[in-house]
Amino acid sequence: MSLEKLCKLIEDGDAVEAKIVTGELLNKGVDPLKMIDSLTKTMAHVGELFAKLEIFLPEIMLSGEALSAAVDVLAPYLDATGGREVKGKVVLGVVKGDLHEIGKNIVKLILETNGFIVKDLGYNVDPLIFVKEAEAMEADFIASSSLMTTTMPRQLEIIEILKSKGIRDKYKVVIGGAPTSQMWADKIGADLYCYDAKSAPELFSAALAGK
Amino acid sequence: MATPYRHWEILERSRTGKFLDENDFLPKVFSPTLKKLIKKYDIKYDPKTPCPSDEGMADRIWQAAWDLFRDVGYYNTDSHRIIEIADAEIKEALYMAQGQYTVGGGREARVMKHRSIEDTQPPFCIMSPDITVDEKYHQSMCMAYLKEPLLDGLCGPILEETFGHLIESGGPSEISGCIQHIQNQKMAARLLGRPGVFMVAVGTAEHDSGQIAVSNNEWGVQTTDARLVGSLTEFKTADTLLNRSLHYAQYGSFTGNLTGAIYGGWCGGSEGTAITTVAYSLIGLVIHGAMFNQHFPFHLNYGSNTTRELLWSIAMAGQALSRNSKLLYTSNGFANAGPMTEMLFRETAAHALVSTVTSWQLWEMASTRNKYRNRATPLEARLGCEVGHAVARQGMTREQANEIANRLLAKYENNAADAPMGCEYHECYNAAKAVPTVEHMDMFRRIKDEIAEMGVEFLY
Repeated sequence: MSLEKLCKLIEDGDAVEAKIVTGELLNKGVDPLKMIDSLTKTMAHVGELFAKLEIFLPEIMLSGEALSAAVDVLAPYLDATGGREVKGKVVLGVVKGDLHEIGKNIVKLILETNGFIVKDLGYNVDPLIFVKEAEAMEADFIASSSLMTTTMPRQLEIIEILKSKGIRDKYKVVIGGAPTSQMWADKIGADLYCYDAKSAPELFSAALAGK
Repeated sequence: MATPYRHWEILERSRTGKFLDENDFLPKVFSPTLKKLIKKYDIKYDPKTPCPSDEGMADRIWQAAWDLFRDVGYYNTDSHRIIEIADAEIKEALYMAQGQYTVGGGREARVMKHRSIEDTQPPFCIMSPDITVDEKYHQSMCMAYLKEPLLDGLCGPILEETFGHLIESGGPSEISGCIQHIQNQKMAARLLGRPGVFMVAVGTAEHDSGQIAVSNNEWGVQTTDARLVGSLTEFKTADTLLNRSLHYAQYGSFTGNLTGAIYGGWCGGSEGTAITTVAYSLIGLVIHGAMFNQHFPFHLNYGSNTTRELLWSIAMAGQALSRNSKLLYTSNGFANAGPMTEMLFRETAAHALVSTVTSWQLWEMASTRNKYRNRATPLEARLGCEVGHAVARQGMTREQANEIANRLLAKYENNAADAPMGCEYHECYNAAKAVPTVEHMDMFRRIKDEIAEMGVEFLY
């Protein structure tokens, strides 16, 4: 039983075994912070493989599930030692009228495995729901995806609702999706254009740091 | 078309089928089943042959696709239930399917006919920019495409604005934009003397209400035209989509089933993408009563299908469909590069070449990853369709096509990730007259000569 074996289980997407081995390692006295550090590095490696399509979506999703299973076991120990670092809180969804969610799901996975807490609102989400959920969660980011040109205006509506409520500056508004662009982000006054899933953690962290 | 009762059967099964949480459908049902079928039927991608000629594997892909559809079903995200289909129903629908349809009207009526592998009958050529365009260029671009001699059908550019208002899906602006779209297209056809030309319309409609609003034989989409109904990635539908196929059938126009299996996504690699593409043709026939299937499998990262992983999937799916059915299916090219670049012309040629010899009809050509407004022109579609006619007429074999595809790929595949964006329509076309600029035509002729030297015997 070793940390290396656990990392391999995460890479292979074996959630059941990962959960068992995580418990065993804790019982052996392995430092939970050291474990989470190794698991994060493993997931970053899996993310790199996926970015190059050396593995495909089903595989990275299984790795994500295995990581979640391990983190669930570690959570009480991490809390006892000050907790896992949370890089930011995000409400994420696909805008009203749009039913395409594969890109949003990948972004969610990449963010969660890189230390962000994500509230997934699903697809066909009313602009007001984005805002209400962000308020409830005390989110840092409101991130919306659009795959169709005729649903992109709903991203603007989120910003307009924030302005109407006088809370525009409380949140970083992020847009993404195939037809969106930096030009569209500039036009509607979004804070960040997320051009692909793999760059999301870095872009979100930089935005929060004001870079 | 499917048998008439089928729509009602499908609607019923949307309500009474097996319940499943949507979050479980793809990771726990679709992908594991597909993975098992790839192994069971020994489907293997070979990067050296973007245009393979393995007919045994083509037949196994067909069987895998059949099993996939039957075993997984089709998920309705509104009812959270699976529409299940039996073998006998697939067999019946295939028996009832026609191998050819006459589309369009009057002098412009055309026959779209099932093609065999290495068929000398040219492909049916639908041209489309597949992208959005500024309102001020919409009619010009429609006219520019309709001027193309090889065009058998037009799917016009998409509007983002209508009389200065942003079009919002599901809202009143979409209804207006859809009417403006079809009227621009029909007016362009009349002005050019092709009033009966076959149209696939309207792409501006994301919501079912937009499609339904333009069904009118006097001023809108006619019953000699076709409309598309899409799927959600992968193997999923929704009531707003089923509304369309029912409306198209009741209105009496032709239905095209629009699907793009995603390489790198839930399908996995080239093998899964090929199987899923074939299965989508069965879904189109059985679920939506589609006259034809409009496929654009694409790369998850690039949003294109001109790299070798996707050309292989297209080639194998075409052969599987041709050898085992009399269905009609169009191959929709998605290029990385933008207009008036040598890369776009080469990508289009490779896509059209591989598609044509493996039995597809052509649908050319989305450029610049189908992402940027105004970045598409008829000239790349012209090249694709001229390649299609040429390789069919000369009786090109898959082996010859494979060699030429490899030579073309060598010139562009390393640039897939950072392809040039090229120009917008009005920068390489005279938008007032709807004709290409001299510089654009010069590049077209230069790359056409290059492709001819590789062995494509252009007809003119």
